[in-house]
Amino acid sequence: MANRDYRLVAVIEIGSTGIRLVVAELNPSSDWHVVDRSGKPVALGRDVFTRGIISRESMLASIAVLRNYRELLNGWGIDDPDIHVIATSALREARNRDMFIDRVFLQTGFKIVVVEGIEENRLMYLAVRFALQDDRPQFSRSNSVIIEVGGGSTELMLLRRGKMVAAHSLRLGTILVDQQVRQTMGANIYLQRFLTESVNNTCESLNVELDLSHIKIFIVAGSDARLVASRFGVELNKNCWVVDRRVFIEFVDRIKGYSIEECVQKLRIPFAEAEGIIPGLLTYKLFLEKTAATELIVPNASIREGMLINLSQGVDPNLQEEFYSQVIASAINLGKKYRFDENHSRHVTALALNLFDALLTMHGMDRRARLLLEVAGLLHDVGMFIRSSGHHKHSQYIVANSEIFGLHQEDLDVISNVVRYHRKAPPNATHIAFIALQREDRVLVLKLAAILRVADALDRGHAQRIKDIKVEQREDAILITVMGSHDLTLERLGLEEKSDMFQDVFGYKVILL
Amino acid sequence: MQTVPFRYFNRDLSWVDFNARVLGEALRRDLPVLDRLKFLTIVASNFDEFFMVRVAAIKRAQRMNLGRDPAGLLPEEQLRYIAEKVKHITNETYRCLNEEVLPELAKAGLELIRPAAYSQAQFEYLENLFLKEVFPILTPLRLEDDAEPPSMGNLKLHGAFLLDNGKVAIVQIPTALDRIIWLPPEPDQVKPWALLDDVVMLWASRLFNGYTIKEGMLFKVTRDADFSVDEERDEDFVEAMAEVLQNREHSWPVRLSCTGNSPVLKERIAQLLKLDELDIYEMPGPIDLRSLSELAFIKGFDQFREPPWPPLWPVELPEDEPLWETLHERDVLLQLPYHTFDPVVRFIQDASVDPRVLSIKITLYRTSGESPIVKALEQAARNGKQVTVLVELKARFDEERNITWASRLERAGVIVVYGIAQLKVHAKICLVVRREDNGICRYVHLSTGNYNDKTARLYSDLSLFTINQQIAQDATLFFNMITGYSVIQSMQQLVIAPVNLKRRLIELIDREAKRSSQEYPGKIVAKLNSLADVEVINALYRANQAGVSIQLNVRGICMLVPGVPGLSEHIQVVSIIDRYLEHSRILYFANGGAEEIYISSADWMSRNLDRRIELMVPLLDASVANTVKGILFSFFKDNTHSHVLAPDGVWSRRPPETDEEAFRVQEALYTELKLASELSRTAPRQEFIVRRRPPAE
Repeated sequence: MANRDYRLVAVIEIGSTGIRLVVAELNPSSDWHVVDRSGKPVALGRDVFTRGIISRESMLASIAVLRNYRELLNGWGIDDPDIHVIATSALREARNRDMFIDRVFLQTGFKIVVVEGIEENRLMYLAVRFALQDDRPQFSRSNSVIIEVGGGSTELMLLRRGKMVAAHSLRLGTILVDQQVRQTMGANIYLQRFLTESVNNTCESLNVELDLSHIKIFIVAGSDARLVASRFGVELNKNCWVVDRRVFIEFVDRIKGYSIEECVQKLRIPFAEAEGIIPGLLTYKLFLEKTAATELIVPNASIREGMLINLSQGVDPNLQEEFYSQVIASAINLGKKYRFDENHSRHVTALALNLFDALLTMHGMDRRARLLLEVAGLLHDVGMFIRSSGHHKHSQYIVANSEIFGLHQEDLDVISNVVRYHRKAPPNATHIAFIALQREDRVLVLKLAAILRVADALDRGHAQRIKDIKVEQREDAILITVMGSHDLTLERLGLEEKSDMFQDVFGYKVILL
Repeated sequence: MQTVPFRYFNRDLSWVDFNARVLGEALRRDLPVLDRLKFLTIVASNFDEFFMVRVAAIKRAQRMNLGRDPAGLLPEEQLRYIAEKVKHITNETYRCLNEEVLPELAKAGLELIRPAAYSQAQFEYLENLFLKEVFPILTPLRLEDDAEPPSMGNLKLHGAFLLDNGKVAIVQIPTALDRIIWLPPEPDQVKPWALLDDVVMLWASRLFNGYTIKEGMLFKVTRDADFSVDEERDEDFVEAMAEVLQNREHSWPVRLSCTGNSPVLKERIAQLLKLDELDIYEMPGPIDLRSLSELAFIKGFDQFREPPWPPLWPVELPEDEPLWETLHERDVLLQLPYHTFDPVVRFIQDASVDPRVLSIKITLYRTSGESPIVKALEQAARNGKQVTVLVELKARFDEERNITWASRLERAGVIVVYGIAQLKVHAKICLVVRREDNGICRYVHLSTGNYNDKTARLYSDLSLFTINQQIAQDATLFFNMITGYSVIQSMQQLVIAPVNLKRRLIELIDREAKRSSQEYPGKIVAKLNSLADVEVINALYRANQAGVSIQLNVRGICMLVPGVPGLSEHIQVVSIIDRYLEHSRILYFANGGAEEIYISSADWMSRNLDRRIELMVPLLDASVANTVKGILFSFFKDNTHSHVLAPDGVWSRRPPETDEEAFRVQEALYTELKLASELSRTAPRQEFIVRRRPPAE
């Protein structure tokens, strides 16, 4: 048998307007190239965003498409572990999604994973970074936005000098817009007014996070933009086009009055794509006009490519760390929004990570847990924004209801609980949010909260006096030696209160020397 | 014949001219007699199809009052002109047959013996044959004036008889028996033969005991075959297709061919079929020449044929190893039928047994169940490969054959796709996916001709083996599209009809016009079977006006009018009719020095560009592109089998200029390949091919 280091993987995306497939060959050098693509329109978005459920017809249509894809994949000899079926906003919001997932599994054998909006963001970011390569060096120096208008949601990321400031999954999608326009005013003429208002409102809150008028780089992912780019764009590299701002705005202004039929005829695009193209392009144009960008960068990137990169580079430590740093940047920005005590938070986080790393063999947690601890450390006090008293509870719901780039809802559920238990009472049977977690996640929360409590105690005075610690593990106790000489009365008092959980969880006393 | 000024020739008259050129080959006295006979049978069989499809369509247009065609002719005018031309050609055909070919055949020992010349022994032999084998299967039918006429099957030969009571009876000449009956030779004869219809007519009185036959006549009815299945019936398409085939036997008649010896019978039958004078074709000699093709291909008698050009194995390909490795080094071009079709068959056979092959996808348009390709595909499916076959059931006149072997493939586990609603899949493409050491490798075979080992010996086609990544990727997407896995997706290299082939073609022609300047005039050279799309023709006229020099080699229909000042003075149209049927489509654009060359499955007819799935593919391998360019250009050097179209629509043979040597393009192409083949055989080995690994698992 010849050595075959490469493997074939398939990604199927169940989106709002269609079901698309890509098959790629992954090489050991974490390089990959696409060998097959398919796409069939299924109007799941139209169902879900109007009636809340996927209709019987669409369900049957989806199953028919997926059956065909099964046949196609058999031709490639790809087995289930290498087939990734993901679903985005339409299925995410469908009330009958569990039933849909089950029916699909029974009839096609495909296991659908519903991707969170923010995870969609992450995959998109991966795809965009990949497509961009190093061909726009100012990416890391200027402020940028990455945006994709989908059928049911708009994914939007703001970056300051290449660092993630905010990531949002907005409830603004082409199908959604279409429905709302029809319901409220009944005619397409109002589309532009409606969109302008939506975009203005969105931009007001985005401006708080990053002044949009300072954005120099405007990156648009999404098939609508690719259509424009393939027509008017200049190739930046084989995966990326650049379109002049003026050219783009002129084109959108020219076609915005087209009916869907005119779009099909004049733009020579399939009907399924024509339906969303005008609201989609209009939205890009409106956002573009809020920025200082002189051009649009259109990468040939979709969540499917993101998934492939994820699969091919899942073990690349550099990329992973780069990604984690974006998560942290996004968390810090959330903290800033709630005017957190940045020095204290960063200090506690540093101490907590110090403990985490020193006690690795004792607690046996992985890199992801460390990231969750880091985010929890940064955000443990955001609840102070509401009120000091009970601020751990305020922190909890703020975290649980915010968006942090790169983190799933399950991650946020863990973090919000860690934050919740950074002080005061430990979990009990009436704490619904805690009980709602999976068993492993409940253990994870306890372990992380135990560490965070100790770290927080070490900066009881919020004065960052303890700069450096040494951690020693004894028979039945953890010895923390503070470097330099300080009066540690306050911290000892704090530990007295807060190391109880550590002792319960890990079985060790914490002794401050 | 047509009024000037006009921008287009009439499509069907242009086709009739093509068949006249085919007859021109039969008329060549320098051709051996069996080849001449072959061309006569082709002329006849071409007309059969022409009447079934085209004349039927014009008649339908007439009934629907569709108005004038692009050449400005009304349907009735077209029918009249066609009848005039066809009658003239028919007369020429029989003059040639009776005065030249039959006597020549007799000299060659293949003598047709008509009843008056039967020897005693032969008479007895035939009478015996009639009584034992023919008589029992004859079914005479009496024609009643007021009753529904009995069915007279499409293209079936019938005898008609006027009896002494004034009644008319008909009898079908059995198709189960060979029409040619070999006779016991008399001492001065070599291999004499008789016609079955003569035998039936001679002893027909046995069918009508008690009556006397006053007159007898042979005839054949040609019926409308230009109707298609009900495309709405998606779920039982195969069944719907079967019904169409049945209906074709009984659809309305468009032509009556008969021996002209009985005006009364001719009148009666024409009346019955509701055909008028224009539709009746009298043939002074054996009618239905198509069935004499058996004679043209008879074994022995090779001295009465042109020396054969035995198909060659392409020198680029290894003779006893799979093609995989060679194709990693370079693209390989096959020139059929000078090259053998075997590499294509071998390619699929290799794929069917190679353990690394994952899947095979192929489009089959006209092929036979006996075809080694179909057998290999069946085998591949049984070996666990994923095999996907798109069978075009709608390939005209082949539908019946297609249905049977398609279901056999299905039983073997092949994924069979029965075509696409409203569109015929005419593209010829095969994709083999193979798992190799360094990754997935996709082998693509693209051709201008069908996967049919029989026609591959008679049609001149080009086909290309490549592993070019972009073409392979496009091929994958193309199959996704035609098997219903995907919507139409954008392609990098392949151009597809009806998606963008026509638009692209016109863009390419317009680009050439735009790039053309006084110093560097543009150049377009194309080889086609038919040129009948008005939009494309207009683009060519535009290019002409921009000074682009345009050379067209159009085998059949050409609606473009060449050589008209201000419209087409830079356009030259030639047509090659020779031993092999010219079938490849090649396109060349000078493109300001960055030459581009394409091969295609599509003719430039609205039918192909708008209602068929066709492919056009650029030749990206420089050496292949160069070879094809050479082939394409050499067609315009032919001065023995080339015909030139004049502005008035008249085709004339292009003779060698005074100081020109004779150049016969088909022979030249073969000779060149043969030389290369001999060279590679006789060249001493420079090295041994050493195997370091065991041969592929």
